[in-house]
Amino acid sequence: MKMNEVKVGVFLSDCGNQLSEILDFNALTNYVKGVSDVVLIKRSSEFWRGEGLRIIVDAVKRGKINRVVVAESLPKLSEVNIVRAVEEAGLNPYLVEVIDLKDHCAWPHRKTPKEATEKAKAMLLAATERAKLLEPIEKLEFPALKSALVIGGGIAGMQTSVDLADLGFEVNLVEKEPFLGGLAARAGRFFPTDDCAICIQSPASDVKAITHTSRKCVYRSGFTEIPNLKIFANSKVVGVEGVPGNYKVTIEKKPRYVNELKCVRCDLCTTVCPVEVPDKYNAKLKTRKAIYMITPNVHPPVYVIDESVCKFHDCSKCVEVCPTNAIELDQKNKRITLNVGSIIVATGFQEFDSSLIKEYHYGDYPDVITNLELARMIDGFGPTGGEIIKPSDRKLAKKIVMVQCVGSRDRRWNAYCSGICCMISLKHASLIKTAYPDVDVTVCYIDIRTTGREHEYYYERAREMGVKFVKGRPSEISWNPETGRLIVDVEDELLKRLLELDADLVVLAPAMVPAEGTKELAEILGLELDEDGFFKEYNAKLRPTETKLRGMYLCGGATFPKDAPTTSLHAHSAAIKAAKFLTTGKIVKDQRTAVVNEEYCGDCEFCPVTCPYGAISLEPTSEDHIVARISDLLCEGCGVCVGTCPLNAIELRHSRPNQMLAQMKALMSINGTSKPLILTICCSECGHTAVDSSGMAMMQYPANVRVMKVPCTGILQVHQFLEAFKAGAQGVMIVGCKSDGCHYEVGIQKAEKKVELAKILLKEYGIEPERLEMFNMVYIEGDKFTEAAQTMTERLQKFGKLQLMGGS
Amino acid sequence: MKRGKGERTASQAFSDVVASHLGGETITLCYQCGTCASSCPVARVTPRFNPREVIKLSLLGEKDEVLSGNAIWLCCSCYNCQERCPQKVEIADVIYALRNIAVKEGNIPNIYSEFAAGLIDEGRIVPISKFLEKKRPDFGLPPIKPTGVDAVRKILAITGFDKIKHEKEDAL
Repeated sequence: MKMNEVKVGVFLSDCGNQLSEILDFNALTNYVKGVSDVVLIKRSSEFWRGEGLRIIVDAVKRGKINRVVVAESLPKLSEVNIVRAVEEAGLNPYLVEVIDLKDHCAWPHRKTPKEATEKAKAMLLAATERAKLLEPIEKLEFPALKSALVIGGGIAGMQTSVDLADLGFEVNLVEKEPFLGGLAARAGRFFPTDDCAICIQSPASDVKAITHTSRKCVYRSGFTEIPNLKIFANSKVVGVEGVPGNYKVTIEKKPRYVNELKCVRCDLCTTVCPVEVPDKYNAKLKTRKAIYMITPNVHPPVYVIDESVCKFHDCSKCVEVCPTNAIELDQKNKRITLNVGSIIVATGFQEFDSSLIKEYHYGDYPDVITNLELARMIDGFGPTGGEIIKPSDRKLAKKIVMVQCVGSRDRRWNAYCSGICCMISLKHASLIKTAYPDVDVTVCYIDIRTTGREHEYYYERAREMGVKFVKGRPSEISWNPETGRLIVDVEDELLKRLLELDADLVVLAPAMVPAEGTKELAEILGLELDEDGFFKEYNAKLRPTETKLRGMYLCGGATFPKDAPTTSLHAHSAAIKAAKFLTTGKIVKDQRTAVVNEEYCGDCEFCPVTCPYGAISLEPTSEDHIVARISDLLCEGCGVCVGTCPLNAIELRHSRPNQMLAQMKALMSINGTSKPLILTICCSECGHTAVDSSGMAMMQYPANVRVMKVPCTGILQVHQFLEAFKAGAQGVMIVGCKSDGCHYEVGIQKAEKKVELAKILLKEYGIEPERLEMFNMVYIEGDKFTEAAQTMTERLQKFGKLQLMGGS
Repeated sequence: MKRGKGERTASQAFSDVVASHLGGETITLCYQCGTCASSCPVARVTPRFNPREVIKLSLLGEKDEVLSGNAIWLCCSCYNCQERCPQKVEIADVIYALRNIAVKEGNIPNIYSEFAAGLIDEGRIVPISKFLEKKRPDFGLPPIKPTGVDAVRKILAITGFDKIKHEKEDAL
């Protein structure tokens, strides 16, 4: 076989003679015979399995053909099988072109069989012309380290770490606070189980103290002793370099001033420490020393020195009493480099700063507190030993008013519903009523939302216990200096009565907002945030814990406020996704990527900023100018850069301009109808499948409408629309995903802009701009495609034949 | 998902009318939390005005009840509700929009049509009595200058304000 000799085999499936009732297969066979470089034509009832597939494989194996064109129904299903078999037979899978004569031709044009046959000829010619120009695409392998970085040591981070460590990966867990547990540890008890917040799933390691069913406090779960899990508390990520599979992470570990290996938790240091400050962790309801632990049952079980208040060498009392010489006042910031294959973000959320809502006077009146502060009071380990007090005079609170939606469902601050605050307040109300039945608790709410499993029972139980509910959002909280009590102004909407509720304690249910430092971390990682400031997942429905970067995952409250059960689900999901990515130690990927012609490329910066995957970098070359370089690992092959490049210097290996042009010309070479030819350029995602679904449902549109597929409409350039007209199209339809639903993030928006621009150009040329139209649809909108095809045809019939000056 | 892109139905026709008037645009954002009502100094002293209820009735399409009643004219425009509304509903402005619609439909309380007539006829809302004019020198005040009522009338004609009075008369 000569090296460059192209030999095309064309395989026509008649779907068990169903198609031959509409299409004239003899005419098709005869037509294809006349197409150059076609050396083999076969007809069968199906080619994607069984005997039909064996015919293809045989022809490939014997070297009779080196390009395969298959006309098969359900190509999106059958193509997988055909391509796999062809690859096994020794031919590169990218040399196969599969088209659908059923759903794209016979079915939608069943009432005009002659026209359908002519369209089928054009489709076969287009597929053959494209096949001739296809080039083999290789499989690439990139090494991946079997290790992960987990950022955030709350329940999400801890659970995902346990999973990954159990699966054998090296796990590095980084927590910015000196102790693990995150927000959860402060919450005291969790709904809907009413058990402790610091209780986590034990690792599945085979150790005497741990059983498979263990569910224990962090400090005794064995979690901290997993050999392949390293915990870096008091540390934060300051830099990330590298690519998926090979990230170099720099973390900065703040000094603890206490040696973790020497401290024996004897508590002598806190006894002698002379510095006493309000304890923020405990809602400032008690004080703590400069050397402290947040609560007794934490990890690491080692004291920490608060460097903002410690007198260090001017005092040194703790150093003197420490029996194990664990206190090291000269510890410094340490930078540690970690090499990991994957990164999981589990940074969680925090309470909204309620003092921003001035009319509630949080921060002005000490007896206005937040849910998290109340949680510390309810916690037996907490600052009041479980008593509910008025912080102003530390007397027992007899009347409590809870205020929901503080800063959430509030378009001035956070428009979203935080989702968990109703349950937190109901839990608190019930816990208070259980311990102190005489305390009066009133909850002011806009809507009570208890949508989770067993959540409604909390509402029911609260009512049973005598918790009062007022439907209305308080407008103001004021303080009566004479009585020392608070007054809450609220309208009971159901009674249509304005109430002034007096209270010893007002508990706000603040919105849950992204954790501090989320924005900075997103910049370091190159991840996007949503409009509320949370980490943005790849696809909320299907890939809730993935990001658009392979190798980076999200879990827990980092993506949105979550309760504990949902956080666990999320954590396990992120772990399995990361494990799937890391498990083979390599990333295998087709080189279905963009490639830069460096001769043309130079000195502009359009493509790197356009690429949705950050795959393009600018690099200086020897000729003293910069060119774009595309990472085969990061490129997802959408072609948005191709569409953006002003110099046509970028091409997709699997969708080159000459391939597209050949296809376009072929589709427009035969009409066979009395109607104006329309070229429809579809994206391979929703656009093309909308055409499928229209055909599958046997919706009828005229055969003058011809369909061509591109990876994403973002690949299209303005001159290609003009080329389509030059090739004989009387009209051009661009069919892509919904504006906010592009599978490659930005492609459809780029295409929309280009269509707008092309319309202006068409007008300049004296061509009706309405001959070009953009359509957005999803798979199930086959009817929308049918309607668009019909409308466009009618429109073009009114316009009459397009006259191009000097055109062919 | 794009936010706030709900589709309108025919039953919301009245809220559409309100939303198309200057100041009324934000009415559909209301989720009835009652912050406005408990912020309102008028609602505090009389049950005849409750801003939440006015918005609710409008959203439900209870056009006649809203436009022919007294409630919308009782708002004192302190804007307390508007400052505090968590949905950024411009409540006081919505009430202005409702007043404008009411006037167009001929529902204008006498006091307001008297104000309007005063403005058109005299160029003033508050009439000046002979007694007051006599008293002014005692307080060291200069005599009141004429208002230039012709210029005022011109403005009122351009803005369509002068029609208010006629519409009122037609409606009667």
